[in-house]
Amino acid sequence: MYFELARRNLERARARSILAVVGIVIGVMAIASIGIFGNTMKQTVLERFQDEADTILILPRYTEGYSGIDEDDVELIEKVNYIDYAIALKDERGEVEYKDNKAFINIYGVKDEDDLKKLYNVYEGSIKLKGTAVIGYRVAEDFGVEVGDKVSIEDKNFKVAGVLEEQGMKAGISPDMAVFISMDDFDNLYDQEGYSLVVIEAESIAYVDTIEESIDSLINKKDEKVEIRDFQSLIESVEESMNSMTQFLMAIAAISLLVAGVSILNIMLMSTFERTKEIGVMRAIGAFKETIVLIFLMEATILGVVGSVVGAVLSLAGGYYIISMMGFSTAYILHLSSAFYISEGFVVGTVTAIASGLYPAWRASRLEPIEALRYE
Amino acid sequence: MKVVELVDVYKIYKTEYYEVKALECVNMAVKEGEFVAIMGPSGSGKSTLLNIIGCLDKPTRGEVIINGVETSILSDRELTELRRDTIGFIFQQYNLIPTLTALENVELPMVFRGLSKAEREARARELLKIVGIEELANRMPREMSGGQQQRVAIARALANNPSILLCDEPTGNLDTRSGRQIMDILKKLNEEERVTVVLVTHDPSLADYVDRVVRIRDGKVVEDVF
Ligand SMILES: Nc1ncnc2c1ncn2[C@@H]1O[C@H](COP(=O)(O)OP(=O)(O)O)[C@@H](O)[C@H]1O
Ligand SMILES: [Mg+2]
Repeated sequence: MYFELARRNLERARARSILAVVGIVIGVMAIASIGIFGNTMKQTVLERFQDEADTILILPRYTEGYSGIDEDDVELIEKVNYIDYAIALKDERGEVEYKDNKAFINIYGVKDEDDLKKLYNVYEGSIKLKGTAVIGYRVAEDFGVEVGDKVSIEDKNFKVAGVLEEQGMKAGISPDMAVFISMDDFDNLYDQEGYSLVVIEAESIAYVDTIEESIDSLINKKDEKVEIRDFQSLIESVEESMNSMTQFLMAIAAISLLVAGVSILNIMLMSTFERTKEIGVMRAIGAFKETIVLIFLMEATILGVVGSVVGAVLSLAGGYYIISMMGFSTAYILHLSSAFYISEGFVVGTVTAIASGLYPAWRASRLEPIEALRYE
Repeated sequence: MKVVELVDVYKIYKTEYYEVKALECVNMAVKEGEFVAIMGPSGSGKSTLLNIIGCLDKPTRGEVIINGVETSILSDRELTELRRDTIGFIFQQYNLIPTLTALENVELPMVFRGLSKAEREARARELLKIVGIEELANRMPREMSGGQQQRVAIARALANNPSILLCDEPTGNLDTRSGRQIMDILKKLNEEERVTVVLVTHDPSLADYVDRVVRIRDGKVVEDVF
């Protein structure tokens, strides 16, 4: 009966109720669609890192005076359990020249061309490292090099056997701006003791910690020779900063809800004035103060829930609009993680409405029955 | 058995500029099953007296005893329960809840008491039948005449089987015919259902219906006739 009473009272002042609901709808929509947008951004960024999650990098601990990883240690690493593959690389910044263009870029020495195939896909040509070079996508673009052309590295000529696919950061290296040659060729060009990097791919993310512990106890037992890195903490910090950015934007959007809250407060106060006599009658025939509070809070709750439901549904559309306007993929809108932001908008909207109803409800309940009855 | 007993009741309204003694040393009692009229000119303190009997208002001084309970010691919650369970109010303005149907208005005091929907509805229909408007159960107050609304108000006042029915000028807004019908219903309730009724009016013609008239003037009881 209280619910019916609340519902009919809202219907009686329909225009006012609709206005209040619209306020909540807008507020919830703003909060939830910004949440969805932030979430999409986060997922898009995380997706780029996801491939890296099962990658472990072993680097010489330069701070302890180690400039390379020994062959023996690499062999130890290769025998650790749960490893898909471990690839040892040497690198150096070298002068690359093609026609009249000259630049310093990263040159990588790879023990086996199959190793390179495991790490990257070829875009043009093939991955062959027999006195030949495989170059990154951006190197090919910037120099205007094609498969079959000759480039010079430290004044020595290499035929380009293949160009890698463009891929951004992968396996701890930016292959787009790099040149890969065989280890023999590398050793001929540079005088470098030990490997500068071992890239490990775990069988699954679940083994990352175990592998790291094994390597640590195998190699770093006596002396901290190598540094073990993975992308877990990076992914976590990216996720964290994206989350807090989203929450910050949502908080700004919440200001619109504040406005809606004030309008509900206003509407409910008007309603308590208009219904003073009714409140007096109810108190006279046996309604407790709490009952009056309940009836008015119920009204605020209905406004809040209706507005929040509509706002939550519309936020999908709002989120879609912002995301496509900003040029992101809309694939994540229906992602489970969006549900969190939608429910956050819903909860904040409903709570705002109820909170705005508290004061009017309390005021209404405090009316003296006799005074309220006399009110015309 | 006394349902209501007032002992040396004063009600003084103080405003910034003047003081009104709405009630002055009122002593009176209402016995179970009585039909009492409180009569007096406008402004004589009748409504004030009725509201004090009904625990809607508190006396400035004096005791109000309902069913043997001294009400000045009761909390707001206890007073509300007392009004809900032992007192039925009928107002001059009917005072129905405009958003509820006739049936729902009658159910309301039972809602406050926490009765189940089925119980409430059955009792409410029975009460509407007693006041002779069972067919109007689903009407909204604005769809009913004054007389019909006052009948709903009577049914509502009876909802929780009160020991006393307090009526403040129940016929004041009605034409003579509807007014007489309302008085007939009250009389019948008093005679057949043994409901105690206290009626406030300034209309001397209603004196015929009642067992006893208490006359009040300037806040003082001037005559108490059986
Ligand atoms: N809330 C109030 N404040 C000040 N004076 C009041 C108040 N209520 C009633 N009075 C005064 O008390 C007197 C009695 O009023 P009331 O009981 O309403 O009389 P009746 O019902 O007999 O017409 C009147 O003089 C009225 O002006
Ligand atoms: Mg009066």
